[in-house]
Amino acid sequence: MGNALTHYMKPDVMPGPDVVPTFDPLLGFKSRKERVMIATQEEMESAKLPLEFRDYCAHLAIAYQACRSDTFPFVYKCAHQKHEYLTCEYEDYVLRMKEFERERRLLERQKRLNKAA
Amino acid sequence: MSAFVKTVCLAQKLCAANPVVARQAIRSMAGWNKDYKPGPYPQTEKERLAAAKKYYLLPEEYKPYADDGLGYGDYPKLGYGLGVEAKDSYYPWDYPEHKRNQHEPISADHDLYSEDRWSQAEPPRYSNAYYFACFLGVMSGCLALYYWLDDKKMYRPVAAKQYPSPGVKHYTFEK
Repeated sequence: MGNALTHYMKPDVMPGPDVVPTFDPLLGFKSRKERVMIATQEEMESAKLPLEFRDYCAHLAIAYQACRSDTFPFVYKCAHQKHEYLTCEYEDYVLRMKEFERERRLLERQKRLNKAA
Repeated sequence: MSAFVKTVCLAQKLCAANPVVARQAIRSMAGWNKDYKPGPYPQTEKERLAAAKKYYLLPEEYKPYADDGLGYGDYPKLGYGLGVEAKDSYYPWDYPEHKRNQHEPISADHDLYSEDRWSQAEPPRYSNAYYFACFLGVMSGCLALYYWLDDKKMYRPVAAKQYPSPGVKHYTFEK
């Protein structure tokens, strides 16, 4: 947890917990693929999906829960759906880590530019 | 009543037949509780000295219970060392199981103060002010740390979770 220590020692270049990126998301990119939400609002409401699961993996969460309710009690048959859903959540987490690191590097760059100016 | 009379007659016949039985019976009567009873409260200085000697105490150490009708005759009153538990386990006592030396006077309440029952508390190692200062030091140290670190949370280096909502665009890192 050295990041927390760094945050309280150098708060200007180390983002805090659950930072919302402040820079233009396209800064330094020629083009950037947009994230696509596959599950629709109606689908999520119809599946009574809890609010915290209504992220970009919601369609996989719905498929996994549907499989579980279809095959119960033989839920081992949903191993594939579970793996797909958890992989999606893992990729989402990695994306968050990357966003944090991008924010940190851009903050350092901004500080460097301000000092040069 | 007849059974008692018969028993007495049998004893008389046995004693007449064999005098050793009578002697043995009298020997067996030694060591009754009346033999362990303390004597009467010492009234004169001479009696006091004799009682102190009887209990293996120095005359200046000997102090009987008050003779107010609830006392124990000439039995000495011991105001110290009542708790057997507080005594040193590693001292070579004459009776290690009771942690007692030969002729060491024992309290009249000895059955209460034996090792598996009650004990006089040992005096504490430090003064009460010292213990209170330790308490305040630990508590204020913990509270100071708590309030100082209250807004300094540990966290994982991740950005906020992205939830789709109208008007907000999120991007992957692919081109």
